[in-house]
Amino acid sequence: MPDTAKNPLIELSEALAERAGLARPLVVGIAVPGHRMRSGALWRKDVVVASEQRYPDVSDARVILADGNAFTARVAGRDPGTNVVALRLDGSPDPLPLSASEPRPGALALAFGADEGGISARLGVVHSVGPAWHSRAGGRIDRRIMLDIAVTPREEGGPVLDAGGGLLGISTLGPRGRVLVIPASTVEAVLEPLISKGRVDRGWLGLALQPVLVPDAVQSEAGQSRGLMIMRVAKDSPAARAKLHAGDILVTIAGESVTSAAMLARHLEPDSVGKPLELRLIRADKPLSVQVTVGVRQAS
Amino acid sequence: MAIPSVLRIAVLASNAAEQDRLATLVGQCGHQIVEPAASPDAVLTDGAAAATLPAPTVAIGAVDGAFAGLLPPDAAATAVDAALRAVAAGLIVRAPTQPVRSFEWLPDEPPVLLTPREIEVLTPLGNGLTNKQAARLLGISPHTVKFHIESLFRKLGVASRAEAVARGMHQQIVEF
Repeated sequence: MPDTAKNPLIELSEALAERAGLARPLVVGIAVPGHRMRSGALWRKDVVVASEQRYPDVSDARVILADGNAFTARVAGRDPGTNVVALRLDGSPDPLPLSASEPRPGALALAFGADEGGISARLGVVHSVGPAWHSRAGGRIDRRIMLDIAVTPREEGGPVLDAGGGLLGISTLGPRGRVLVIPASTVEAVLEPLISKGRVDRGWLGLALQPVLVPDAVQSEAGQSRGLMIMRVAKDSPAARAKLHAGDILVTIAGESVTSAAMLARHLEPDSVGKPLELRLIRADKPLSVQVTVGVRQAS
Repeated sequence: MAIPSVLRIAVLASNAAEQDRLATLVGQCGHQIVEPAASPDAVLTDGAAAATLPAPTVAIGAVDGAFAGLLPPDAAATAVDAALRAVAAGLIVRAPTQPVRSFEWLPDEPPVLLTPREIEVLTPLGNGLTNKQAARLLGISPHTVKFHIESLFRKLGVASRAEAVARGMHQQIVEF
């Protein structure tokens, strides 16, 4: 065969290695004294983001770039809601912005992590892309992007690039070992409050709830067959001040039916804090309207 | 092969302070500390990176799954002792209290919805009460309790009270 013939495998391989070259200035290792090494992404000049879950409760860290340059860093803020921890450092380079295209199932993606003296790369496809979702900790994540790429706890939090070299977001270990991407737009949205205040405030009522079937006798009163039953009311919470009780069944918020936790979460986004919310409940088989003033959710 | 009462333990920590802490724990367990190269019975680590581990390893406060034993960061000497003996015997050790929940989405609406009464009946059922005792506790008749339990069995597709409790309690509670 003549040497001039193009070998598609070599072309693909070279294109992938080129993407790894694009990612390299973004990939950082984070060394927290007394803890294992973890990965993060240099998001902009002097700002690194990483996975918040299991990030140690230690303010100081050392951030090591792939070129070996190391910086002292400190945690600026943590958001369990979107699984983002932001670190500030001083004097880092400014990484090139890499804007991603809309993720599509089946498209190639590369997940990067920090490795001794460099970066590690993993290749796979975008497994699925869903609409915005809410985490258990109440954060809104712009897209449900799942990868068919395995990522170790050490690599978690590193940047994920698409085939064009665009930054999709940072990798996150999800339930049952599945790997999610926290999209770049979601990281951007929480970064400002994380850096200025150290946290992202979200709405809180002080309720533990469980979806229930509304008893037949009160379905017509309730106007729906499903609701959320209050299992517990936290002390000194907005719900306690509004005299809500365990056993009450929540059916609507601000006139909208709530039958799942996600529907409730939509009413408790950051802009809900301090505002009044009209709740409609069923108590002792009778409908009841209550106004609560939304409080601030504490990190648990 | 019998496990000796005093084990030979190697300690691998990521810094001097941790090394001291882990060594103290090993001492409290009454075991002997040896160098990693001296063919230990087991290794105690804080999850510090090591290329090769010379023996089954108990990791304290680590989250990676590659260790025979995983204990929470605040594990007491008694737990460390039990874990070291277990891994030396070739067993795998996990602490039940360890938070294993990862970053996850809010649960979708469950396929099977229970009524408030059915949820109420599950608690005494889980505590091993009889229908009569549950009825007294809830202020309803034993016949009504039986009715709700039959409905639970049907909805959850189970045939025993224990199964009903296991499935029913699995319905997720969220906090807001």
